Amino acid sequence: MKREELIKKWLDNELSSEEFKLFHKLDDADELMKLSESIKAFQIPSFNSDSTFEKINQSINPTKFRSKNSWTRQFLRIAAIVVIGLGIYTYIGSLDTRISTSIAEKTSVILPDASHVLINSKTDVSFNKNNWGNNRDIKLEGEAYFKVSKGAKFNVRTSTGTITVLGTEFNVKHRDGLFEVMCYEGSVNVNCNDTDQLLMSGDSFLLLNGEIIATDKENLKSPAWKNNQSYFKSMPLIFVFREFERQYKVILDYQLIDTSQKFTGSFAHDDLDLALKSITLPLNIKFEKLKQSKIILSSE
Amino acid sequence: MNDDLKENICDETLFSAIFKRHSKDLHNFLYYKFGESYSPADQVQDAFVKLWENCGKITPSKAKSFLFTVANNATLNATAHKKVVLKYQKLSHKNYTHETPEFILESDEYMRKLQHALSNLSEIQRTTFLLNRIDGKKHKEIASLLGISQKAVEKRIYGALKKLRKTIKEI
Repeated sequence: MKREELIKKWLDNELSSEEFKLFHKLDDADELMKLSESIKAFQIPSFNSDSTFEKINQSINPTKFRSKNSWTRQFLRIAAIVVIGLGIYTYIGSLDTRISTSIAEKTSVILPDASHVLINSKTDVSFNKNNWGNNRDIKLEGEAYFKVSKGAKFNVRTSTGTITVLGTEFNVKHRDGLFEVMCYEGSVNVNCNDTDQLLMSGDSFLLLNGEIIATDKENLKSPAWKNNQSYFKSMPLIFVFREFERQYKVILDYQLIDTSQKFTGSFAHDDLDLALKSITLPLNIKFEKLKQSKIILSSE
Repeated sequence: MNDDLKENICDETLFSAIFKRHSKDLHNFLYYKFGESYSPADQVQDAFVKLWENCGKITPSKAKSFLFTVANNATLNATAHKKVVLKYQKLSHKNYTHETPEFILESDEYMRKLQHALSNLSEIQRTTFLLNRIDGKKHKEIASLLGISQKAVEKRIYGALKKLRKTIKEI
């Protein structure tokens, strides 16, 4: 075998054992081996493939995900805004409309179905505008007069009882210890303490300190307070005084008198002196006005 | 490996397998060819990033040649390259107590000569020769790595060997 071929085979590590002996007999075999061995010293500084792969991943991943996610992300952003927007919209929509009056203030509200509510002083009324078509529900704390348009059930909810009507005019008075429903037109169903009572026009329902009080038919067209009057019939004086305090910004001191005595009559909402007299004169009560709108009442 | 079953290499496990298979060869190839001045590890990194960016167009079987071409071109593009001087590791002489100072001096001298001779080789010769001698690659492997025939590899390696010996003797 030629020398050149032998060396080539040696270079490719393909020498058989016989050829290997021949190779060793070459005069420069030692030199070749030395060169080959020494070359190994030129070995590469170690290549850290893991850290390189790490770097490749780092530079790849942003591009990899950017292209894929750019519109998904955009879409998610828009979706999030829409969802949040809808959430706020429905939340605000689901909030009840709330109307409050303070002392000596009266107001009126027209409900979405054109029903009319007249609200007396110191009263809270709340209802949900959005669902009004299906669910005519109104919460009341205080006194209000309702003129209900015909339609679905109309409920006035108070903590004491619920008044259900279809289309009528009635007044609800719900004050501490007092619950009075007066029907002026049509019919009204009052549900109180799990009992139903149907009121026809002119009927009224009165609950005083948890006791139902029988009442006579009245022949009024609308509640007196609509005309700036408060009207009472055989009503304990305490309720009259409380109503008085709601209509005038005064504090009545009635410790010295018997507030359980009944009162029948009325007082006007626009003249304090006259109103005071119309209560006190029939019952022989003296009154004395102090500063800071305080009035002391005493028996004569 | 059933590489050709896949149309492209846009798959992380496949990509990672390709990296494991070719990164060291590519790195060593670049090092032998251009030395350290072009930072072979960085070139390997760039080549694989490019491979990923073009993953849709490349079949697994073409990945290797793509890598070598990209890395090779990028390095060529960098600038006209300087003469490549490869470093060698100094053998520790302490282990060889029987060595005479003359021998140590001689072998140091020999290594310097070898270094000089290596940098006088053409890029092609040096690359093939070192892939063969240091990495222990068979001629066939080198041929497939560089995309040339086995005969050409044989010729280059033998040519390199001859030139090395000649240069060492001349000095």
